Amino acid sequence: MRNILIIIAILLPILGGARLLVSAPKSVPGKRIWCEVIACAASVIVWIVILGGPVGDFTVYSFTRGYRIAFQLDGLGMLFAGMVSLMWPFVTLYAFEYMGNAEHKNVFFAFYIMTYGVALGVCFSANILTLYVFYEMLSLVTIPLVTHYQNSESMYAGRVYAGYVIGGAAAALITVMVTTMYTTPSFTLGGHSFHELPENFMLLIYLIGFFGFGVKAAVMPFHRWLPTASVAPTPVTALLHAVAVVNSGVFAIMRLTWYVFSPQHLAGTWAQKVAVTVSFVTLVLSAGRALRERHFKRRLAYSTVSNLSYMLFGVMLLNPAGYTAGMAHMLFHGVIKMSLFLCAGAFMHQSGRSYVYEINGAGKKMPLTFTFYTLGALSLTGIPMLCGFISKWNLLLAGAQAGTVYSYIGTACLIVAAFFCAIYTLSVTLRAFFPVSDENRWKGKELTDPGWRMLLPIGIFTAVNVLLGIFPGPIMDFLGKIAAGVI
Amino acid sequence: MLTALLVFLPFGFGITDYIIGKKSEKTRNSFAVITTFIELALSVLLLLTVIRGGASSLLNLDIPHVFASGMSLRADGFRSVYSLVTALMWAFTTLFSQEYFRHEPENLNRYYLFVLATLGATQGVMLSGDLMTTFVFFEILSLTSFTWVMHEETQGAIRAGYTYLFIAIIGGLVLFMGLALLQYETGTLMYAELPSALSARHAAGSGRLLAAGICILIGFGCKAGMFPVHVWLPKAHPVAPAPASALLSGVLTKVGIYGILMTTVEVFLENALFGWTVLILGTITMFLGALLALFSVNLKRTLACSSMSQIGFILTGIGMTVLLTAQGAGETAGGTIVGGFSSLGHHAAMAMSGTMLHMVNHSMLKLCLFCAAGVVVMNAEALDLNEIRGFGRNKTLLKISFFLGLVGISGVPMFNGYASKTLLHEAITSGIHEAGEGAAITLAQAHDLHVIEWIFLISGGCTFAYMLKLFICVFVEKNKDLRKQEVFDKAGKSYMNAGSTLVVFGTSILFILLGQKPVFGAIASLMTGHAGVLEEFRPLSFECISGGLISLGIGLFLYLVFIRRVLMTRERVYADRWPAWLDLEELLYRPLLTKWLPAIFGTILSVFGENKVLTRVCRGLMMVMTNTVPQTGEDRLLKKAAFMVFYLFAAVLKVLSMGTDALIMLSRKTVLRERVITGKAQGTLSFFHKKRDEIREGYGSLTANFSFAMMFACIGMLLILGVIVFYIVRR
Repeated sequence: MRNILIIIAILLPILGGARLLVSAPKSVPGKRIWCEVIACAASVIVWIVILGGPVGDFTVYSFTRGYRIAFQLDGLGMLFAGMVSLMWPFVTLYAFEYMGNAEHKNVFFAFYIMTYGVALGVCFSANILTLYVFYEMLSLVTIPLVTHYQNSESMYAGRVYAGYVIGGAAAALITVMVTTMYTTPSFTLGGHSFHELPENFMLLIYLIGFFGFGVKAAVMPFHRWLPTASVAPTPVTALLHAVAVVNSGVFAIMRLTWYVFSPQHLAGTWAQKVAVTVSFVTLVLSAGRALRERHFKRRLAYSTVSNLSYMLFGVMLLNPAGYTAGMAHMLFHGVIKMSLFLCAGAFMHQSGRSYVYEINGAGKKMPLTFTFYTLGALSLTGIPMLCGFISKWNLLLAGAQAGTVYSYIGTACLIVAAFFCAIYTLSVTLRAFFPVSDENRWKGKELTDPGWRMLLPIGIFTAVNVLLGIFPGPIMDFLGKIAAGVI
Repeated sequence: MLTALLVFLPFGFGITDYIIGKKSEKTRNSFAVITTFIELALSVLLLLTVIRGGASSLLNLDIPHVFASGMSLRADGFRSVYSLVTALMWAFTTLFSQEYFRHEPENLNRYYLFVLATLGATQGVMLSGDLMTTFVFFEILSLTSFTWVMHEETQGAIRAGYTYLFIAIIGGLVLFMGLALLQYETGTLMYAELPSALSARHAAGSGRLLAAGICILIGFGCKAGMFPVHVWLPKAHPVAPAPASALLSGVLTKVGIYGILMTTVEVFLENALFGWTVLILGTITMFLGALLALFSVNLKRTLACSSMSQIGFILTGIGMTVLLTAQGAGETAGGTIVGGFSSLGHHAAMAMSGTMLHMVNHSMLKLCLFCAAGVVVMNAEALDLNEIRGFGRNKTLLKISFFLGLVGISGVPMFNGYASKTLLHEAITSGIHEAGEGAAITLAQAHDLHVIEWIFLISGGCTFAYMLKLFICVFVEKNKDLRKQEVFDKAGKSYMNAGSTLVVFGTSILFILLGQKPVFGAIASLMTGHAGVLEEFRPLSFECISGGLISLGIGLFLYLVFIRRVLMTRERVYADRWPAWLDLEELLYRPLLTKWLPAIFGTILSVFGENKVLTRVCRGLMMVMTNTVPQTGEDRLLKKAAFMVFYLFAAVLKVLSMGTDALIMLSRKTVLRERVITGKAQGTLSFFHKKRDEIREGYGSLTANFSFAMMFACIGMLLILGVIVFYIVRR
């Protein structure tokens, strides 16, 4: 029964979205209700499945011996699926208002809803081949979303995006094929030793996979697509390029590192050193890059690049504490960055401006939006009582526990990056609320907070941000269990 | 229970106050005052409960499972006294702000909200039972107090606010790192459990422990105003409203000190290296602050620098406590790790009581002095010494209060500052006396202590000198502008109302009270938890008096020779002789953050993928793909030929566009000498720019149908999925 539910949860949004392409409801409310109902229904199904506990691996189609499409639900999948399914309905609500006057709404919402199904497919996949198939589909269905505005800038962004993610997936395919040949069929924590292969070859294959999947997780030499793709409509940048797509990259690397290759065999090898170094270099450099960025959303995109590497750093420490912290940051960063992007989108939608220096004084006109933004910014920096603090705290502890030179440099980088983060996010708050008087652009001009459809999702994400920050216990216990292999 | 009320009540009342403030300003103001006085009553109650040894359910509170490692509130002598000081400061400053803000009633809703929230957070720090709770409330008060600095929203205030905020955040993060290291090293952050947790693992990881200690020291030091992270202090005070300055300097710096003191006592009590670090940083802070205050010509800036200097005195006391304890342990051949106030030896307890008394004294002194400065500001609306000169000539009450502040802070015998400063001086001298080979303080280091002792005395002298400068300027001399002097003299008695008088004059009476031995002796015993710790201390003995008098003598000399001769022009005008470029923030921190780091990062980034090479390759590949997908020729040869043609075409275009790009870049740098090409300059585009744009347009249209191809690809993938579903159903 729950097997069927999993398949329904994946297919429902895909088919529901496809219907909008074929014959969309004529009236605007009709379209909105259709989208919202599909999103909510899928979320409810996902939660029914999740609350029932883990689901063993089951095959839906076998290409040939060992190569099969199969689904399962384990702890990590629960985390990612639960996170995605809580966010999608709210951001869809936000998108109604944001895309209010835009063209081609049918196409937009069609792909937007379809992406939900594909993302769930990534969560539920039981082996690396299935993961790869959905991962690739996720790249493809999101391309029309990036190019949505159809102007030269977004076409360019679309091309760059496609080039990077498809190229990365091609590299990952090498790893997928090699590992599928040698491993047992489904993901198990602790992975496989690959003792049939020469060690250096195994590590090379691992690194190819790391960088291949790392393209979506925006590790350093391959990060440029993410800021470029921020020309997309805000619901896309928020949900896809801060959570679903980029986290699917991190998710894939978690699967690869902890469930396909074994952390014991990777620990202390040159492959781990390379991966850790790349992640802490990325996290500090891209935070530094965000300081120089003047476009509001692109600045947040660089911040995403930095925060994704926090997660990778945690995962690549290869101890359970680091893995837990990485997962926690995946969840918390999703919540925080979502609220930040939605606030940025609210400002851009209300004012039609998109550069940071154009914010001067806007906080007094849009107090709610910028208060929510400030809470998100503080959380991202790592101020206690907000959830960003919890994951950073655990990352630091894990770094100290790993006790290698790399982990110490990494934790130092983490602190530096957190400081940069404070500057690049809080400088927006300061501009908004405390403008230097002669630069107050919005004095006496028309600018208000957006309507409830935009404010509600932001408010909810902010509330979750605070709640998780004050009561992180249950979530952290759950993540600890995942890392220990109990769930 | 009581502690929880003390901490959380102001948060709730603050929000209520904000809501009230939307309706009526008068009710809001009185409500804020009432809240702070309720808080004062509660903390008096807390102190009495502690003295009587009341039930622990009243005093202690544990909330497990919040934040990273639970939250706990504790109350003992030290904490409850400081809670009382905090509440008293808040009650008095809020009372004072009633009159102070009458002439600029803007943004007061926000001000009162954040003042009350900060009160709650400060109580949270002062009553915290573990470092995590301290840290949480510390961060909250950093952020809420930031709005005080910004309050007036002038250019200067905003600049100072930025400095304050970023220093606070750096401090928070460094502290964060330190706590993580400490947590990993000891497995607990509870103050009470730290000493025992430490003894088990101390030997293995003392290096990491020291690193944690330095991080914590710098983190809390940011708020305390310790060198080298003091830069916010002299800038934030002159621009903040006077009541806020009193709180910033009187209590918020003590929050930093609280963290340093508790960490030191519980973790590093025997760590001589840590002790030296604190001692040296404290000495530098003490001297630098005094020097800056000496040079300053702004009333509130002088007081701010003075705060920094007094913080240095307190840090010196903490450093000496550690050294004296380490010294004692070395002699008794211990090796056993001690921690907590109870394990202080006799000398160390004396040093500690000096430290704590100086904390209390300094809070009270700065309350009085900053409020007096506030009276000056609200009447004369200036802070520059030359403008406010002669302001207080016939204002007796203000004059007496300021004079009491002067004698209190500079350590004149029988007043409060004298006792604490003498105790701190005693600590240094007993360190010198106890020095011996093989101990924590070697004989060679005793020489260093001699130097520190002299710096201590000179700094004390500077205190006297700059306070004398302020007093003589404001209350004795006449203004150069005689009309202004007339206005000052005419103000008569209407310069402050009853509430402000109570605050300024009432506090100054305390200085005499706190200078009496039974009073400060009792406070010291209560705070350190050592009954009768100061019984052997003779404040009026020859040694003590002579130390005080040397200091005062140096001060008088400095005033007469240095200030009157060097820091004043021939026309008897106070001149700002401090070189403007000599400013740590402008010299180092700001360029570091705004110029050097971005430049370094930019260079590294342009090597790592931020240049467009990879993007161009991707784009070129995609272009080739795009242009070959729609071809439907039957003949494979034709297809291949078409591919080749397109590929060649694309390659030529690519080379052309890259070539022109390179040429443009070259010409920009050399012939054209342009900095930025703006949209407005379209008409003046060079030949190369135009050519490049044409070429771009050409191949741009070739690739425009790309997203449709991608849509088809998606549909194909979905079809595959449909087939899969078909299989499932057939099974």
